[in-house]
Amino acid sequence: MAENILVIGGGPAGLHAAIELAELGVNVSLVERDTFFGGNPKKFKYKYLFPDLQPAENVIGELIKGAESNNNIKKYLSANIESFKEDGKKFSAVIKSSTGSETKTFDSVIVATGFEHFDPAKDSKYSYQLFDDVIDIKDLERMMGEGNFTRPSNGKPPKNVAIILCVGSRDRHVGNQYCSRVCCTVSVKQAIELKEHFPETEVYIFYMDIRTYGFYEDLYWKAMEEHDVQIVKGRVAEITSGPDNTVICKGEDTLLRGPFEIPFDMVVLASGMEGGPQSPEMADKLGIELDEHGFLKQANVTLSPFKSNKDGIFLAGACTGPKAIADAIVEGGAAAMDAYIYAKKNS
Amino acid sequence: MAKEHNKNSERPVAEKGEHIIARHLIDDDAIKEEKNLVIDGVDVSGRWNTFIETRVDSEFDRSFFDEIQKTVVGSRINRCWQCGMCTASCTVTPLYRRFNPRAFIYMMQLGNLKLLKKYTDVAWRCVGCYKCSQRCPKQVNPAEMMEALALLIKKYFPEEIKSKHQLTIDEEVKVIYEGMILGHGRLDLANLHTSAMRKMGKTTELMSDKDERGAIFKMMKDGRALSVLRLGKPHKWHKSKDAIDNYLRHTGTLEQENN
Repeated sequence: MAENILVIGGGPAGLHAAIELAELGVNVSLVERDTFFGGNPKKFKYKYLFPDLQPAENVIGELIKGAESNNNIKKYLSANIESFKEDGKKFSAVIKSSTGSETKTFDSVIVATGFEHFDPAKDSKYSYQLFDDVIDIKDLERMMGEGNFTRPSNGKPPKNVAIILCVGSRDRHVGNQYCSRVCCTVSVKQAIELKEHFPETEVYIFYMDIRTYGFYEDLYWKAMEEHDVQIVKGRVAEITSGPDNTVICKGEDTLLRGPFEIPFDMVVLASGMEGGPQSPEMADKLGIELDEHGFLKQANVTLSPFKSNKDGIFLAGACTGPKAIADAIVEGGAAAMDAYIYAKKNS
Repeated sequence: MAKEHNKNSERPVAEKGEHIIARHLIDDDAIKEEKNLVIDGVDVSGRWNTFIETRVDSEFDRSFFDEIQKTVVGSRINRCWQCGMCTASCTVTPLYRRFNPRAFIYMMQLGNLKLLKKYTDVAWRCVGCYKCSQRCPKQVNPAEMMEALALLIKKYFPEEIKSKHQLTIDEEVKVIYEGMILGHGRLDLANLHTSAMRKMGKTTELMSDKDERGAIFKMMKDGRALSVLRLGKPHKWHKSKDAIDNYLRHTGTLEQENN
């Protein structure tokens, strides 16, 4: 008899896990809270993915197609886990969706509930939502996806753009001490896209560290060396309105030890990643642990990063911490393997 | 009143800008010294215009960056990420703390002329050892960037250079420069540097223990002088002299001098 495995979350990690398991002949139940699969990349219409700037559709579209065309995957959209309990080595869950409630028994569970973009409005110093021309990386990603690179306030090409790193990350003030890992690379990618669209636009990146780890460094070098993107060391502490419909970034240039107040046409906040409300919700419902950063806790960060503290419940993707889409997909596959082994042993 | 005025005139007035601690915040040229100034019977002698300048930078001027980038020596300015490897390996920085290639490149990137102006006295002190260029992880070639800097400083602050350094760069440096190229077939930047100092009448500085001479001894002692000579030195220097000779003869430039 085939194994039954529950995958919660239909983003890159969950989709990949579901497809891999279905390929092994497992009966997969894929539960997604939104009306569509694809997770945040789909929700916020990511256009191009780093590091190779391939269309996001190539990746997310493929995953969605793979899951949708596989008959071993039972898909639940606009759905959630209404109740969940252990049943010996197995699990019993009530899945509530638009078509009604369904009670099912599973051999193992994969949680891939992902992350939420940090909402910059939570940090008033950046004046997000106060000025039209202050946007964040997900806004710019969506705008660029729609072919729109102009200033939100007047639809004109910006003369200069400031990209501010570490918004909502590495900041005790907002409660997030960790580095969100991808914002640096997303930002240099967006800087390149901006410069390719408007070569005359001056793009400045305000940074404390630029963490384009591994081969993502190539993009950072490219932004500087091929597109003249200028990096300025110092975090911006305040954004106020300036003359001629500009916004002023106030900060300290820590290399020259001087304060600056520079007017910009557009400011892009590189907002980080958070565990979101779904992480504590899942922890509560499934009886697994939450870590100190608000993400789901791995049993052992090095040895068994895809296991939760409860046997039979596995974790994949950004629900355990900020990570790139590529990493989330890798983790989907790895968690699928762990979940399959557990199901095989106990069914 | 007149007597009182005379009495005041004997009061010593401090040197211009003396006692001011945060000198970098003050525009020296704007300071006015009045030894005997009485307005409406009130003695207002003293130092005026010592208002602290605004310290806030309110623009990045990329035209300066563009200009540097167009030059041969400064074409790689966009590569610099301010790691400081150049300043760390610099021969000159330990002797003149204010000579900081890393910071100069940054000022050039952001077009901070206001700040660069304060360094017109040291900005040209690169001795051309090329250690920075050899060690730069981004291959910015900071040594040549310093050349770009010197050229631009000369262009943007000609008055500053003339008044503060008494060097008519165009003529005198050209003579020294040509002498080296034609005489030895190579440019010896350390020699250019000391010759220029001599021309500027800065012989005291040149010979004083604490400056140039001290620097030379220090560099001999710790081996830097030797590595400066060794680094990037091609074999058979004399051949470069022949090549220059040939070239000039070929173009007819040298013949006039020989006649």
